[in-house]
Amino acid sequence: MAIVQLKQLSKYYSGQSEPAVDAVSLTVDDGEFMVLLGPSGCGKSTTLRMVAGLENISAGELLIDDVLMNKIPAKDRDIAMVFQSYALYPHMTVRDNMAFGLRRRGIKGAELERRVRATAETIGLTPYLDRKPHALSGGQRQRVALGRAIVRNPKVFLLDEPLSNLDAALRVSTRSELVKQQRNLGTTMIYVT
Amino acid sequence: MLITRQMISQTLLLLGLSLYTAYAAGPFVWTALMSVRTTSEISADPYAWPETWHWSKYLDAWYSSNYAAYFWNSTIVVVVSVILLSVIGALAAHCLARYRFRGNRLVYFVIFSTIIFPPQITIIALFQVLVEYGLFNSHIGLILVYVSIQLPLTVFLLEGFFARLPQDLFDAARMDGYSDLEIFWRITVPVGMPAIITTMILNTIHLWNEFLYAVVLITDDDKRTLPLGIQKFMGDRLEDTGMIATGMMIAVIPIIIIYAVFSEKLIQGMTAGAVK
Repeated sequence: MAIVQLKQLSKYYSGQSEPAVDAVSLTVDDGEFMVLLGPSGCGKSTTLRMVAGLENISAGELLIDDVLMNKIPAKDRDIAMVFQSYALYPHMTVRDNMAFGLRRRGIKGAELERRVRATAETIGLTPYLDRKPHALSGGQRQRVALGRAIVRNPKVFLLDEPLSNLDAALRVSTRSELVKQQRNLGTTMIYVT
Repeated sequence: MLITRQMISQTLLLLGLSLYTAYAAGPFVWTALMSVRTTSEISADPYAWPETWHWSKYLDAWYSSNYAAYFWNSTIVVVVSVILLSVIGALAAHCLARYRFRGNRLVYFVIFSTIIFPPQITIIALFQVLVEYGLFNSHIGLILVYVSIQLPLTVFLLEGFFARLPQDLFDAARMDGYSDLEIFWRITVPVGMPAIITTMILNTIHLWNEFLYAVVLITDDDKRTLPLGIQKFMGDRLEDTGMIATGMMIAVIPIIIIYAVFSEKLIQGMTAGAVK
């Protein structure tokens, strides 16, 4: 549960005269589902990556629950991100993909298994836990990517065009599924599309 | 009509493959046959089938001609070199492929440009350096040289492969809380394993056969590697062809076994688990 505040957030790349992101100010309330919409190349993804901590912030401030996050590394921000390409670890099973982040946070054994199972249950992945990503369909992979984020129970959820690789029918159903999940979890979400 | 055409093309293919197999495997079979014949038998008729199979020549080579020592020397030098090459090469390649920093391409170019020097140019300088540091005529010295000569190619091959791995994978691992070094071990190494195994096979074959550096940098008979052992049978006046063939067979068998085992793994790795 968190409030995300962007204050005059900017991103300059060296060698480019125009900023990639120019002084964006925005507040995402606790439990809010914020959608950033715009043409490709307008800086939505860059903004999201700055919030995630994957890009340095050139100017401005990023606050999560009133704590300045500019210099805090990605791994300590307690944010989960779903990537457009899903970025599933190809050498791990679905279970290990979902457990990867939890293991790093010292969760293991029965507790780990319980959390992975519970998450898999909610998004219908239980039958696929022992499969590797290459043996899954596009929609299933997308759900693994989502599950990997949900299982961590993060303060903030970032979604970078998570539906663009799905076909139209699947996109509609996944989108409503996503809204339902967000309501259930009550987590702050920023969605770029 | 259609079947006959298919049969013709199949026959032609089979014929072509047979010819190629004979061409590729012929010298190997010939050497293998010579390895169980004595030199006088070979001089009498180089291409004849063995009349008696002198398997004892292998024992002779192994025990009387110090091949056991050469074999273990080669094994130690090559295994340690290949392990070092894989670890250092993969770390360097990961760094060059994954991080944008000033001078990235310069470092890459400097590492890779050393490939243009033929060994004959560097060997005298290397000899002096090794003598200076007390590494001449030692396995450690030879291992260091082997690692440095094979590193450019290793980094080149691995960098090419690692650079094609999607950045999202690494970003995802960062979001999952992993440090740079952990990401290297848990993502780059397992995902890049097909490329790492390829370089391991190439390096093993190349270093197992390496002659020039070994002959210059090793002088003690007890420290020699296999290619030098084979050379021992090449005298000034008389060449012990039979024993050379035996020695070559002893040297080549491990490579064939390694290749047979690893190449299957290699194909498995290549076909399994595309990224998306």
